[in-house]
Amino acid sequence: MKIPILKLGRILLASIQVDLSDEDALQFQGELLQEIAKIEALGVAIDITSMDVVDSFMARVINDTASMARLLGAEVIVSGVQPYVAMTLVEMGRELIGADCAFNLEQALNMLKSRIASRGDMQLEQDNTHE
Amino acid sequence: MKPLEPINKLLKEQRDILCQEWLKEVMLQWRQLYPNLLSEHELRDQSFKLLDELARSLVAHSDNESAEIKVSDELSNIIRNMSVHRAKLGFKVADTALYILTLKNVLTKSLMQGAGRNTSELTASLIAIDDMLDQLSIMIFDSFISAREEIITQQSLSIQELSTPVIRLWDQILLLPLVGVIDTMRARQFTENLLVAISRYEATVTVVDVTGVPVFDTSVARHIMKTVDAAQLLGSRVIMTGISPEGALTLTKLGLNFSATICRSTLKAGVAEALQMIGKCIINTKELK
Repeated sequence: MKIPILKLGRILLASIQVDLSDEDALQFQGELLQEIAKIEALGVAIDITSMDVVDSFMARVINDTASMARLLGAEVIVSGVQPYVAMTLVEMGRELIGADCAFNLEQALNMLKSRIASRGDMQLEQDNTHE
Repeated sequence: MKPLEPINKLLKEQRDILCQEWLKEVMLQWRQLYPNLLSEHELRDQSFKLLDELARSLVAHSDNESAEIKVSDELSNIIRNMSVHRAKLGFKVADTALYILTLKNVLTKSLMQGAGRNTSELTASLIAIDDMLDQLSIMIFDSFISAREEIITQQSLSIQELSTPVIRLWDQILLLPLVGVIDTMRARQFTENLLVAISRYEATVTVVDVTGVPVFDTSVARHIMKTVDAAQLLGSRVIMTGISPEGALTLTKLGLNFSATICRSTLKAGVAEALQMIGKCIINTKELK
């Protein structure tokens, strides 16, 4: 099962809509990382609205992906954590998803945009568009 | 007859022919291996000189059973120079030794041809020549290896000197470009340099660029972590740039916490971020007019 990774300018959007097997989850992680490095993404939004069950492995993959994306220079927001999922994760340990979370995708994108706007490299982006 | 005498006679009478034959053999081999590194003229001069010295050394030892070559002799000097020269040109040690081994072949052959029926005399001469040229071969090996070692020491010194510069990018911004494999010694050296530079220039921001680090393994990651931690302890904020996807994977799998560090994809983005932190930015001057 391949998770599509959508590109909105220099923001990447990945929406996980089915339960992933462990291999699929790791494959998704690898693909997302390559894509971030390729377009030098400024922000990444991972939407898990449709996931009713998040086991500890999946939570870990999401968390790892978020910190890897941060190392590659992108801001990361996880959006759409369902109430039941949130409860389970808290039971298992809050640090399972250490990335910043947003209520829905819209809020996530707004958060990303405001964070990106305050970054130093945005100054250069404006230069580029004038060239 | 003394065992060295026939050799001496041979060298006196047929020096030019011997030398010709010898060089022909050597050049045949070397031309294939090192087509661009040879100067035939120079080699000829050198070889003639070597044969002359060999003859002189034979005369000096003509009363003895065999000739012992001392380190101070001109002959050993020539051999050493030749060997060091070849080592610097990048010859292999076996190919360098070929020079003397070929001479041995040529001399032995001509001795056998010119010998009379007295086999015991011939054997004695052969043993003497064997002994002498073996000493020369050992000298070749010896000086070749010490020349190589000298080159290696020099190179590792210059790598150490070159590899860890701390660049002052702006008033309060330092740049530490890491290139190549990072071992414990290099890590300690650049950490030290960086810390000294941070306190000297009161740098508030340090950009650590790891674009040139080919492999991110456990030890490399730990070394870089330590550097970053130390810089943060001094009160400088650290921006890491140029981490590859594989590097990010390793760092996360190691469970290292980079939350206090800002990461950017390229050095360009990192520099822009650093400038923003000290309240500066790069602008397009064309738009100002």
